[in-house]
Amino acid sequence: MARMKFLCDADRCIECNACVTACKNEHEVPWGINRRRVVTINDGKPGERSISMACMHCTDAPCAAVCPVDCFYTTADGVVLHSKDLCIGCGYCFYACPFGAPQYPRLGNFGSRGKMDKCTYCAGGPEADNTPAEYAKYGSNRLAEGKLPACAEMCSTKALLAGDGDIIAQIYAERVSTRGYGSGAWGWRTAYKDMVAG
Amino acid sequence: MLIKRSDATAARSRLASAYQGLSSGGLDRRAFLRNAGIGATGLAALGAMPLTVARQAEAGPMDHAAPVQRIKNLCTHCSVGCTVVAEVQNGVWVGQEPAWESPINRGTHCAKGASVRELVHGDRRIRYPMKLANGQWQRITWDQAVNEIADRMMAVRAASGPESVYFLGSAKFSNEGAYLFRKLAAFWGTNSVDHQARICHSTTVAGVANTWGYGAQTNSYNDIRNAKTVLFIGSNAAEAHPVSLQHVLSGKEKNRANVIVADPRFTRTAAHATEYIRFRPGTDIPLTWGILWHIFENGWEDREFIRSRVYGMDEVRAEVAKWNPAEVERVTGVPGAQLREVARKFATEKPATLVWCMGATQKTVGTANVRAFSILLLATGNVGGPGNGANIFRGHCNVQGATDFGLDVANLPAYYGVDETAWRHWSRVWGVSYESMVARFESPQFMTMPGIPSTRYFDAATAEVNPQTGIAQRDRLKAMIVFGHGGNTITRMPEAVRGLEALDLLVVADPHPTTFAVLSNRRENTYLLPICTQFECSGSRTASNRSVQWGEQIVEPIFESKTDYEVIYRLAEKLGFANEMFKSITVRSKVPEPESVLREINRGAWSTGYTGISPERLKAHLKHQRHFDLVTLRAGPEAPAEVRGDYYGLPWPCWGTPEIRHPGTHILYNTHLHVKDGGGTFRARFGVERNGVSLLAEGSYSKGSEIQDGYPEFTMAVLKRLGWDKDLTAEERAVIERIGGNNVDRVSWATDLSGGIIRVALEHGCSPFGNAKARALAWNLPDPIPVHREPIYSPRPDLVAKYPTRDNFMAHRVINYGRTVQQLAVDRNVARDFPIVLTSGRLVEYEGGGEETRSNKWLAELQQDMFVEINPQDAAERGIRDGQWVLVWGPEMPKGKVCRMKALVTERVGKGVAFMPFHFAGWFMSEDQRGKYPAGTDPIVLGESANTVTTYGFDPVTSMQETKCTLCQIRAA
Amino acid sequence: MNRFTLKLRALLAAFVICLGAATLGAPNALAQSAPPAAPAAAHEEVLFRYLQTQGSGNLVGRVTIPDQKAATLIQPRGREFQDIWRGPMKWIAAASIIGMIVLVGIFYAVKGPIRTTSGYAGRLIQRFRSIDVFAHWLTAGSFVLLAITGLNITFGRYLLLPLIGPEAFTAWSEAAKVAHNFLGFPFTLGVLLMFVLFLKDNIFDKTDLRWFAQGGGMIGHAHPPARKFNGGQKIVYWATVFGGGALAVTGFVLMFPFQIVTSIDGMQLTAQLHGIIAFLMIALIIGHIYLGSIGMEGAFSAMWSGKVDLNWAKEHHPLWVEEMMNPTRKDSSLPTGAKGAGAD
Repeated sequence: MARMKFLCDADRCIECNACVTACKNEHEVPWGINRRRVVTINDGKPGERSISMACMHCTDAPCAAVCPVDCFYTTADGVVLHSKDLCIGCGYCFYACPFGAPQYPRLGNFGSRGKMDKCTYCAGGPEADNTPAEYAKYGSNRLAEGKLPACAEMCSTKALLAGDGDIIAQIYAERVSTRGYGSGAWGWRTAYKDMVAG
Repeated sequence: MLIKRSDATAARSRLASAYQGLSSGGLDRRAFLRNAGIGATGLAALGAMPLTVARQAEAGPMDHAAPVQRIKNLCTHCSVGCTVVAEVQNGVWVGQEPAWESPINRGTHCAKGASVRELVHGDRRIRYPMKLANGQWQRITWDQAVNEIADRMMAVRAASGPESVYFLGSAKFSNEGAYLFRKLAAFWGTNSVDHQARICHSTTVAGVANTWGYGAQTNSYNDIRNAKTVLFIGSNAAEAHPVSLQHVLSGKEKNRANVIVADPRFTRTAAHATEYIRFRPGTDIPLTWGILWHIFENGWEDREFIRSRVYGMDEVRAEVAKWNPAEVERVTGVPGAQLREVARKFATEKPATLVWCMGATQKTVGTANVRAFSILLLATGNVGGPGNGANIFRGHCNVQGATDFGLDVANLPAYYGVDETAWRHWSRVWGVSYESMVARFESPQFMTMPGIPSTRYFDAATAEVNPQTGIAQRDRLKAMIVFGHGGNTITRMPEAVRGLEALDLLVVADPHPTTFAVLSNRRENTYLLPICTQFECSGSRTASNRSVQWGEQIVEPIFESKTDYEVIYRLAEKLGFANEMFKSITVRSKVPEPESVLREINRGAWSTGYTGISPERLKAHLKHQRHFDLVTLRAGPEAPAEVRGDYYGLPWPCWGTPEIRHPGTHILYNTHLHVKDGGGTFRARFGVERNGVSLLAEGSYSKGSEIQDGYPEFTMAVLKRLGWDKDLTAEERAVIERIGGNNVDRVSWATDLSGGIIRVALEHGCSPFGNAKARALAWNLPDPIPVHREPIYSPRPDLVAKYPTRDNFMAHRVINYGRTVQQLAVDRNVARDFPIVLTSGRLVEYEGGGEETRSNKWLAELQQDMFVEINPQDAAERGIRDGQWVLVWGPEMPKGKVCRMKALVTERVGKGVAFMPFHFAGWFMSEDQRGKYPAGTDPIVLGESANTVTTYGFDPVTSMQETKCTLCQIRAA
Repeated sequence: MNRFTLKLRALLAAFVICLGAATLGAPNALAQSAPPAAPAAAHEEVLFRYLQTQGSGNLVGRVTIPDQKAATLIQPRGREFQDIWRGPMKWIAAASIIGMIVLVGIFYAVKGPIRTTSGYAGRLIQRFRSIDVFAHWLTAGSFVLLAITGLNITFGRYLLLPLIGPEAFTAWSEAAKVAHNFLGFPFTLGVLLMFVLFLKDNIFDKTDLRWFAQGGGMIGHAHPPARKFNGGQKIVYWATVFGGGALAVTGFVLMFPFQIVTSIDGMQLTAQLHGIIAFLMIALIIGHIYLGSIGMEGAFSAMWSGKVDLNWAKEHHPLWVEEMMNPTRKDSSLPTGAKGAGAD
């Protein structure tokens, strides 16, 4: 079984936001919910880098650890998913998430923030694969169709890699050795407790 | 680079199975989405109610049990030409998939391309024709709209003549739409027909065509993978052409190439460069000459290339000698040592390519800038081979094609010009008599006189009629027919308001109401026609690299919208010339068939080699995309016979008839290949000699050429002299004789409708257009050798005396007062009151005037406010914090008026420079115009237009506007 | 020392250069040049280490969407939050709550309920006004419910979920969460009321020193003298005021996330504080409940009817009884009509 991961090659990412709109398009994600976003550090200065970030589908996911209702689960592919039927919208996962992935339909927690929504690695949710019920809650399930997440597939410069962790790490390492530089696999240490050459 | 999961269908044990059957039913998704939309944003726009739905394509989840149709079309947002793969079910576009097979985008998109499906969902599209009646938008039928518009046009014609009607077309037309629109203007009887190229790369086309023959990108995005040095000047490709960066960055990595970005702004492209040069806006020529100075000084130029293929380089040397490092630093601010390194890399680490965009072209010296760049390429021998060349990234998705098909005040389709020969040629193609075309015009003189450029339409609507000091035609502009063009992309918007209000008729035909529809305070005689996007019709479009791609209709036009083709036909019909105009074009229930339009183009566009590009070949290319090589763009021997050996999209020139199967020309002027393999030479466009010096190539020729030296363009006379006329078939000869009449010798490769002359030239390994030297010295231009001229509103008034702009002159029927304005600015010390240089540019999320993209909820969310980038030091001096509201005003805005926008305090811009994106509209000098849009069609995001602040200034050759270098003042709101 | 330090130095140098470029400017204001881009200047590891020394250690950049939370690229503290939640928080909770229960149990087993040694006098005196009683029970009732619904957040997943299954647990938790949010208001009101009503009797004085010295009666035989509230009660009072107040404040911050406290670090800290204070409060209140009910004979009626037996009062709060009997003492909390009540 593959261990699915994301890797954003910051030396390729140009903040074109294709990943963001591809995600919106694929899952009809509503306004205000940002399953994926691009952050630019050192903006406007030499050394500027943009990094596309979403749920990293962490090993030993912090969201799952702090969830009061235990609504998270990890698939055999290493994808961290959750059940919106079980989620109570408490917001704790947002505090625990190192990547700001969990999103809520409403701003306040008074009453309810609504069910948490996040990147599913285009792998849907607990419902049967590619059913309307699954789409309604989590969006489409590309993984079940043998496709990878839309964001990575549509990345303009192929900066955002998705796939088996070992393979994308190898692709990245090859790039670094070809070009002679690499600014690191952003977030890997935090997410996977793992580093990639570069 | 992505890894497909091989075991995708393998059963996965997950919690799902455990939870199945336990679930008590889902959360109501609609409610979820609705709440999310309202709760999470304060944007009033989202609350606006849509209009009554006429025929809305309801997007919904895909039904995985039902069959899915995959249809290929092309992204409508920039010139890269990304293939879009649509998944369609029951006539509804339900999903977008990566187009892996496309050699151009290889599955990828930018933010715009990845969200195009929203365009046909169309929450904010115009749904039916409307007109302004007493200031209110009123729904009307198509018949009523076309009848009223045509009647008013005829009334204007009767009172003021055909030249008082203006046709503003679009770079978002398909090639066929652009061609028909140009033909519409021709049959109406005016050359005042233009489109976005005027304000994007008109100066490139003029500058480059005057240097080596064609006004187009010489190489391709893909070919940049071969470059060892890539120099960007005035191009922020990372935001304007994101997918191109895939090729640039791959090449950079593989070749360890130098990527040098010269830009006043530290752009997203600069962030990925190996070297960044910050220079003062408006000093591109000093910068280029500064680089060339080091090249000449150190003898790094390519002497053999210059000797055999360049004319007039010595005159360039004389000018460049003035630009020693000290003077360059004084004018541009760039240290000499930095430019020396750049010069060395560009000249010695070859192949080197130069990429430029609007940073260079949208200038009062745009054409000269482009010429300087071309000369830099020529001096270093960086033209005509893999990895080098002028990689001019064009703007809109079909700006290349629309330019090619003559949406230009000085050209008929395929750059034939507007002289009598051109008109006679196209009259023959159209099957109408030349005399009948002459009769459509005000006079034969106006038929061959270039029209009014789009940058001057409002001046032409308000200036006094005076051939020396005002507008040089019978009457002012009285009517404007605008198809697919934003109003906020043209400078001097406060003036534009006056112009629009002076018009008797304004027609806006567009999927969205553009700024034209709301900017002015018109109350009557203003029409909005809903036009569908290119996803709702078929047709071909030409990418920046001259590759032509055929897009298939994905869904039927939504609501009551119609295709450009149909609306043009209906107008022509009502105006009374449809039968003539569509003589050889198939029309089915008032909808012209794009394939048949392209076949007519194939019969006439010899000069650019659009003749080999048949609809059948284009469709085969789209079908077999995966067989084309990523770097060479060529289909290999394993490819199906119908595309084997072709370059992807048959980049023009694709010589001769489709039957001779020319593969297209991936790289222009490439002497390393046989012309039949896409090789070529510099075009012999300007005669054979000047002042006793030959203009033809010396000892340089394309591979396999039987003439191993320079030669003029092919005419019947040349064929005869070479004795090759006997190679013509009887049919070809008959056609040539029919065309030539009693002067058969003058029939050229470009006017020979049989294609025989071209075919014979190719057979002998020769370029049909001749083999000349490129011109470093272009004697027919205002500045034959580019010289530096300060911007009209220069931040350095001290330099104006030494480097003044050109004197006032009549350009394109309208007076250009540039010199007067520049002197006034110096005399009144405008630079003191407006100390910040204002430049403008693109955002990745939006395109052009931005109505379409600002109406797309997936894009609009990413840029919700108009902003101005300001340097932290300037901000601190003015007490401005990042993100706060600021007021911006320029020297030409009415007294006391200001524009209101957000401040983005950043070091992207240097001190003394501010940057604005130009995609916003809907706020005008602090007034929110949302209420002026027809209900439900207002874009989600509105904002001040950068062009409200921009000022006077036009390029002498093309009347290109100045958007990149003016002055402004900013203070905290 | 090693490559890393070198990299860090390079990075710092790059930063200095950036800042320099920004602040120094160039001779010609319009024509400054920036230093060439250093490809390694934004190496994740290097930048991270650099940021660790600069404050929160979060990697913050620029995003175009208006949600500033999204500008934080990586906040490694999320992992700490996870660890704290999984480890210390649970241990603190378990230690304090279970510890207190055990303590109380031992106490009860060893000493049994504290009895009124002189027996009931049969004469009641008014100890609390009805508003006092209301304030107490308002606070107490909401606190108990808040504690249960709050503990559910931490322990329900381990204790209750396996018993009732995910659907039922979510339904209960959802209701519990709503209840928790709404009960915060009565609880806050109760705490505020108690603060105002009981403040003047809860100022610590010398008598409390003696009371503490005698361990509230645990050491030696005699009851240490106390006024209306003894030292222990005052501790409960102040714990309620401060602890309850802190719970209210942190609770409201959590209820309106990122609106009062805007940083993720602040929100994390708030969540952790809320939990830890709650656990300690729960432990304390368990002790309080014990003493107010089965732990001490005659105590419960004080907060039930507001009246207590005179003898009980004399034993536990002799000074207060004295004050109450002596009408000249104006600071006494003797309610009007106390006599009448005592007379029947």
